Amino acid sequence: METGMAIGLIAKKKFFAALLGGFILLGGLAAAFGATGTAFALPLGGMGDFYVTFDKLEGTGFQFIPHVGETGNSDASPMVRNKIADATVYNLHIYKDLKLPTGNWVRVNITASKPTKIKGLIQDARFIDANLKFNDLAIEEHNTQDFSKNWGQKANSVTITDAKIVTDYLFQSMVNLQGAKISVEDIKAPDTSKDK
Amino acid sequence: MGRKEDRAIKRHNKLEKRQEQLEQAGKFKLWKNNRPFWGATLTVLSALLVLYIPLQLYAIAFVPGSFVFIGLLFGGLILILGVLAYIYPQFSTVFGVITIFLSVLSVMGALGGFLIGTILGIIGGAMCIGWQMEDVNASSDQNHADGKRASNRKVFRRDKSTNINTAGSS
Repeated sequence: METGMAIGLIAKKKFFAALLGGFILLGGLAAAFGATGTAFALPLGGMGDFYVTFDKLEGTGFQFIPHVGETGNSDASPMVRNKIADATVYNLHIYKDLKLPTGNWVRVNITASKPTKIKGLIQDARFIDANLKFNDLAIEEHNTQDFSKNWGQKANSVTITDAKIVTDYLFQSMVNLQGAKISVEDIKAPDTSKDK
Repeated sequence: MGRKEDRAIKRHNKLEKRQEQLEQAGKFKLWKNNRPFWGATLTVLSALLVLYIPLQLYAIAFVPGSFVFIGLLFGGLILILGVLAYIYPQFSTVFGVITIFLSVLSVMGALGGFLIGTILGIIGGAMCIGWQMEDVNASSDQNHADGKRASNRKVFRRDKSTNINTAGSS
């Protein structure tokens, strides 16, 4: 009778084959998203104020509610929360001004030359400068101590033109950025629209 | 002596060395030996990273149809698979395949734990797939000389019964 011991080990061939398979799958998914410029559940926040500008936004299922949220300087700042179920944005430009350790300022730009399609947009803004047009606008007030339910605005559709929005949090369930460009430029001073 | 035989002998020596180490090992090392420990650990770690983003966005994660909810679901499933790989090592291949699949899909809805979660999940899953138990015969001098490899198979044994009877198996 022989006695032996079973030893657990990793078979290199199987391991590398599975690893390769996994990375091919990931590459395939990345290629599919890259080709269509689609990103799912894209959150942008926790870095303080950033600016969103665009020429035109056409959206449906609009909701506008008061909100208190975190900014770059404070844990709780008053702001408004916009929710749009489906939106198409023309000439979208998102930028953030950053101060380098050298004292110079740089601006990180994200631009989309073609219309951007967004589903499930949630945006917390501190300052909105835009032309707004609503269809079937309803303003509701509720007798409650909960500030977020105290009042709200709802509209079936909204058209926003020439907008400049100081944003603190942005979330999209699905975004399709066509012709997206990311660039960094040197600037003399940061944008101070939010301080107006 | 051929290259193949040389490699087989080296492999056998390595296994014997590990066997010697295991004979003097403590309870934890024996427990670790009987399951895809590192594969399962990496899987659990990847699940925590994948879950991080949906948990940060919990306020909207439970909205039906939200992609964040899908991220939460994938992260939770990867976590369960990692824990199951510790408990049922005999199914580690199946767990590994599903872990890789879910880790890649978690890019949707959870950004794959900033992609680090996805990569850890792929590595952890591949380790679970590649994991196997190999029998080393204590008196296999004949096999040793022939360069014959011990049989590869995925078996599960209780920690206490690591010493097995292999009469007539080779």
